[in-house]
Amino acid sequence: MSHNWNYVVAGYAIVTASLAGYGVWLRVKLRRARRSLPEESGD
Amino acid sequence: MTLKRGFLALTLLALGATAVLALWVTPPRENEGWDAVRLLYLHVPCAWIAYLAFGITAVASLLYLVPRTRHPSWDLLAGASAEVGVIFTALMLIVGSLWGRPTWGTWWAWDARLTTTAIMFFLYLGYLALRRSGATVAERGKRCAIAALIAFADVPIVHFSVTWWQTLHQQGTVFNPKLDVQIDGSMAFTLVLAVAAFTMLYGYFVMERFELAQLEEGREERELQLAIAERVRAERREQVVPA
Repeated sequence: MSHNWNYVVAGYAIVTASLAGYGVWLRVKLRRARRSLPEESGD
Repeated sequence: MTLKRGFLALTLLALGATAVLALWVTPPRENEGWDAVRLLYLHVPCAWIAYLAFGITAVASLLYLVPRTRHPSWDLLAGASAEVGVIFTALMLIVGSLWGRPTWGTWWAWDARLTTTAIMFFLYLGYLALRRSGATVAERGKRCAIAALIAFADVPIVHFSVTWWQTLHQQGTVFNPKLDVQIDGSMAFTLVLAVAAFTMLYGYFVMERFELAQLEEGREERELQLAIAERVRAERREQVVPA
């Protein structure tokens, strides 16, 4: 008997991947933005 | 920085505990989606975050519009909160759809709750697009603050849609008109923990997004100042050469 685990797995996978992806994107952008600070102020 | 890392670690711990409880400890719901009910530990917190995020966007926009409290930070906070809110709204719609298929027999229904939620999603997508429109910081801030307040009018409509109209979507499990909480035991505990964990994650994302917006805004300002300084230097050189 199907207990709909396929929907559950899909839901948790989509949410985890999306939120982790957004978190990583934010960290990368932030790191780049922070790194560009001293370069510009040194001009 | 260390405080932020500690907060992130605590958030990830709370999210991990939520996943364990939701997937292995809480019971399935007999004859009504069975294990698909586990998706509600994602769907409900996402809905809560959407309300919270757009509420904070509205408050920050209002504070930006009032001359006495106007500060560019309110505009940046409104934008950061709206962006995070849009992501959680999209996830709420996707997870809701995944729950609806085995429970209602359909991925989507044009009922009041689903339709008003979709409208809310597109309203805030439009708000984010407006934030990218070419304008001065002050012009953009004012324009976006007004748009955010208009968009927020849909939030209470989304919440009360299940009370005002007959919908396929169920009434609130906790915040229903009679305030009759229809959940208990491990399910109630997991739901509360999930809401707390998602709220912490929202807080972390907004902090990061706000800092990024501040740095980007500062960079644009510095680039503008550098361009002006360069232009002034070039004009001075031109004046010196003929003499």
